[in-house]
Amino acid sequence: MAGLCLVLLVALVALTCHWIAPYSPDDQSAMIGFGARAAPSLAHLLGTDRNGYDVLSRVLYGAPTALAVGIGTMLIASVVGICVGGVSGYAGGLADELIMRCTELFLVIPVFLVILSMVRLFGVVVVGTPLESIPYLNLMSIIVLLGLFGWPPIARLARAEFMRLKQAEFVEAAHCIGARRRDILFRHILPNALPSLVVVIALGIGGAILAEAMVSFLGFGDPKAVSWGQLLYFNYESLKVAPWASIAPSAAIFITVLGFNLVADGLTDAFNPRLKQ
Amino acid sequence: MSATGTSAEAKPAAASALLRVEGLTKLYPVVRRGLFRRRETGTIRAVEEVSFSIAPGETLGLVGESGCGKTTTARCILHLVAPTSGRAEFEGTDILTVFREGNRDAILSVRRQLQYVFQDPYLSLNPRWTIAQTLSEPLRVHGHVPRADWVKRIETLLELVGLDPSHAWRYPHEFSGGQRQRVGIARALAVEPRLIVCDEPVSSLDVSVRAQILNLLVALQADLGLSYLYISHDLSSVRFVSTRVAVMYLGKIVEIAAVDELFEHPRHHYTDALLQAIPVPDPQARSARGKLTGEVPSALNVPAGCRFHPRCPAALPVCREVVPELRPMGANHLAACHNPR
Amino acid sequence: MPSIPASSSETPAAGAAQPLLAARDLRVHFFTQGGVSRAVDGVDFEVGARETLGLVGESGSGKTVSSLALLRLVPRPARIVSGAIAFEGEDLLAKSEREMTQLRGRRIAMVFQNPAYSLNPIRSVGDQLGEILVWHEKLGRAEARARVIELLSLVGIGDAAARLGQFPHQLSGGMKQRICIARALLCKPALVLADEPTTNLDVTIQAQILDLLDDLKQRLGTSMILVTHDMGVVARMADRITVMYAGRICETGPAAEIFRNPQHPYTRALLASTPRIDQRYARGGRAALPAIEGRPPDLRTPPRGCRFHPRCPEATPECARLTPQMTPIAPDHAVSCLKRGSSGTET
Repeated sequence: MAGLCLVLLVALVALTCHWIAPYSPDDQSAMIGFGARAAPSLAHLLGTDRNGYDVLSRVLYGAPTALAVGIGTMLIASVVGICVGGVSGYAGGLADELIMRCTELFLVIPVFLVILSMVRLFGVVVVGTPLESIPYLNLMSIIVLLGLFGWPPIARLARAEFMRLKQAEFVEAAHCIGARRRDILFRHILPNALPSLVVVIALGIGGAILAEAMVSFLGFGDPKAVSWGQLLYFNYESLKVAPWASIAPSAAIFITVLGFNLVADGLTDAFNPRLKQ
Repeated sequence: MSATGTSAEAKPAAASALLRVEGLTKLYPVVRRGLFRRRETGTIRAVEEVSFSIAPGETLGLVGESGCGKTTTARCILHLVAPTSGRAEFEGTDILTVFREGNRDAILSVRRQLQYVFQDPYLSLNPRWTIAQTLSEPLRVHGHVPRADWVKRIETLLELVGLDPSHAWRYPHEFSGGQRQRVGIARALAVEPRLIVCDEPVSSLDVSVRAQILNLLVALQADLGLSYLYISHDLSSVRFVSTRVAVMYLGKIVEIAAVDELFEHPRHHYTDALLQAIPVPDPQARSARGKLTGEVPSALNVPAGCRFHPRCPAALPVCREVVPELRPMGANHLAACHNPR
Repeated sequence: MPSIPASSSETPAAGAAQPLLAARDLRVHFFTQGGVSRAVDGVDFEVGARETLGLVGESGSGKTVSSLALLRLVPRPARIVSGAIAFEGEDLLAKSEREMTQLRGRRIAMVFQNPAYSLNPIRSVGDQLGEILVWHEKLGRAEARARVIELLSLVGIGDAAARLGQFPHQLSGGMKQRICIARALLCKPALVLADEPTTNLDVTIQAQILDLLDDLKQRLGTSMILVTHDMGVVARMADRITVMYAGRICETGPAAEIFRNPQHPYTRALLASTPRIDQRYARGGRAALPAIEGRPPDLRTPPRGCRFHPRCPEATPECARLTPQMTPIAPDHAVSCLKRGSSGTET
């Protein structure tokens, strides 16, 4: 429940940031008046950062980015993961073995290195081509890459669930009635596998946000997008002088990821009523 | 080969049998997988050369202890598991071939005639579907009832099994075990079958509820002209429900006879021991002293000759070598024993 | 085995011979999020020396919880709310947890329903049984080993020495249950609680295990409380029977008497609705077992008055209002039913 509140808060902020943020995120007017790295005051509730941006506004504008990353990544990961894991678990035999070996391959690859290098490569390749004009291309490529590396755990769980449900008595009963395989997969097995998968997906959203924050913190993020990790990247050098500029985005990341983790916990409890007692 | 008909009449075998099973066999190879090759280290002989028949309107009880192969036999007939060999004919149609060939229309028409009631009422219903959805699935798959009439048909089915039709929109977890089993029976009835395989339908239920479900099964049989293959390890419910009974041991049928005849005059020693071992609710009655020593051998290492000979109090040397066939022991009574009682 | 009857004119605790165990007005409630479930609500029973008490009822009757309560092993969220349990003259509810640990396995032992779950799967048979002797009787390892072998032979396990090194998964169900029985008898307890010990076993193995329990009881002189739903098993094994329904006792008396002359409508209905292997039934759809309508109640909201009245064929309006008390109707045969002469108290 608490998790749900946090998540909704973040979602609300993401949707309304355009209106509630006191300044535009690109507004560097503070340089002239208050000065960069100014402490929190009435005009700038969370102070200003190294480049004169208003910290509060940037943090608020970071919310939609974070959510886009989290949800976008898990969307890709879930679709791929459920399809792959489901086919593997249901088919069994040789197909299962082959698919699982591929999955393990993806697990073994060092994700960060690949993402960092692909982002850099992509950035270089795109310069001078018409692709460059697509807004947030960098961010989208991060989302796609994270998603493409995030599907193995979901596939594993989906496989386990499909294997278990394949043997379930009500699935046998459906077989006995004469239901087609397609019906059995989509109407019987999938709805019963979703509860456990949703929990893992909720956790994954938090993980994806953290991953993007790390990528941005290392300097590989999309310079055009406002992201909390990027804020840290810009401001961690001035940690001693202007701590508010680093603390605020960190707190935002913390709240968001905590929120999703709590939601995942709550879902686990909801799907396992016996644990409540 | 197979006995048909009730104890009162003897009908000619071929003419009246609804279901005829001959030589049904299911073997599970035990395989050890090395890095490059597979080695068969043994075979689990779950069901071997089982033959019987069921006439219209009759109930054949299939009894035996765990591991005897009774559930596997039923699953093979309905092709929930593919048999290794054997024949099953339903009103003349070779249903195992139909299942193997995979022609969807033919398979559907077989599935309309033969249905299955599962043992566990808690696991045999999809927990995310309402009862109405569960009952409408057979209607949707077979299409024998127009969509506009589905609600009416579901209500009729629920009334038929003694449930309140207004509960159709509830989920399985809102019902008790006995009620869920009724839903399972209603689902089997939805396709208007001729024969229903009941696999331990009351074993998972409370004692005071069992009688209700047994009564329901018997009443439905009389009203709808159904046949049953009733599988159970509880012989008392078998005696109540069945007209004929087949006893299985370690994958083979050892005795098959009309119900009263089997319970009162068992000819096979295993049947006798089984009946003796059941404690009767009467302190004055003969106390159920176990006549059998030892345990049921594993289906991986079935004894040679008669499978029961290591535990049989009346074993002869021939029992160790020659597999006994089912032989007539009287009117409509077959037993596979070299030295029957 | 002949039981030691308590005469109806005296209170049971002051009977001719002190019963080995006597439970009075035992109440065990489950405190769940959905409400308080009165699983055992005012239950009296007792077991004499060398006697077998059959505790009969279906699931939800409170029979298993009652037997766990005797060892103070009721699982959370259940708690023993009130009552008295006297064992060999001592009050079990007043003992500390440490004292109870000394008692369990030594003076009172338990055999559970599913032998596969009650044996530790990662320890060998010899280890599990031996450690009990080391712990309770402070025996040395060699001595413990010898005692274990002796007991395994006693329960009919051939080649006992070889079995010591085996693990539970290598043994059949019947064998595992024999080991559980051996484990219960290791310290020669005065009382054995057997909770549905044969329900999960095949019929022929069940007969062997029941024979074994009978023999051991005769030989070692232990008392037994046998919890079961099977009227056949209880007819075979019990000297006295107590029938429970929905947390309360319906009827109690000697086994022969209960079967010959059942008084409580639930006992009668239970006996009538169970099919028998020694009876012929009509064919052609005319057979019908006299079934008990309805189903066992939810113990969070049990019926007022007599808990069986919603399903009872003989219920009257009084039955919904008054709770019947256990009343003797013959020496050693007591019933709680308003229609059989029990007095009732307002609920």
